Amino acid sequence: MHNRIRELRAKQGLTQDDLARSTGVRRETIVFLEQGKYNPSLKLAYDVSKVFGMKIEEIFIFEEEPGKAAG
Amino acid sequence: MKKAVIPIVISLLLLGSAVIWVIQEQPVRAAEVLPFIVLLILVVFGLYFGYRRIISHKRGEPAEDELSKGVMRKASSLSYYISIYLWLAVMYFSDKTDLETHTCIGMGILGMAVVFAGCWLYYNFRGIMDA
Repeated sequence: MHNRIRELRAKQGLTQDDLARSTGVRRETIVFLEQGKYNPSLKLAYDVSKVFGMKIEEIFIFEEEPGKAAG
Repeated sequence: MKKAVIPIVISLLLLGSAVIWVIQEQPVRAAEVLPFIVLLILVVFGLYFGYRRIISHKRGEPAEDELSKGVMRKASSLSYYISIYLWLAVMYFSDKTDLETHTCIGMGILGMAVVFAGCWLYYNFRGIMDA
């Protein structure tokens, strides 16, 4: 899974601190999310999407792993 | 703030105990230097852990969030798994050497702390992709 947090944050002129405060997590968590080192919980994904005013699937992009059949 | 102070207080107590132990053990044998160094590493780890929480507190962030809790959970489970083998090794070497029981237990406990610190650092810098 990858995400567009860094891109959207830059577009909206938000700092990592701003986003962390708005979502109630530590700045480090936002850094890890942007680096793709952490997959957020559904609640955090929802909170992030609310800050950007977008749908979760527009921010977090799921990619099918090769060899894993869908369904 | 309490959550930030606790690791620092524990680290300082550990450091104080180690210093008292070294003073009482004079002259210190070469074999006793290694556990003291390990203790110092653990104290540095505890201070770093507390420092991070104080910084978070000053920034108005929560002391713990889902990532830090996840790192703690993953580090705990991995270190528990490794510790089982550590105790097996301690039991094996306690049979092969003439170490006293309390020394072996001390080595095991110190080893568990080091293993946990290592696991925490590993997940803290690598991240937890599969959480």
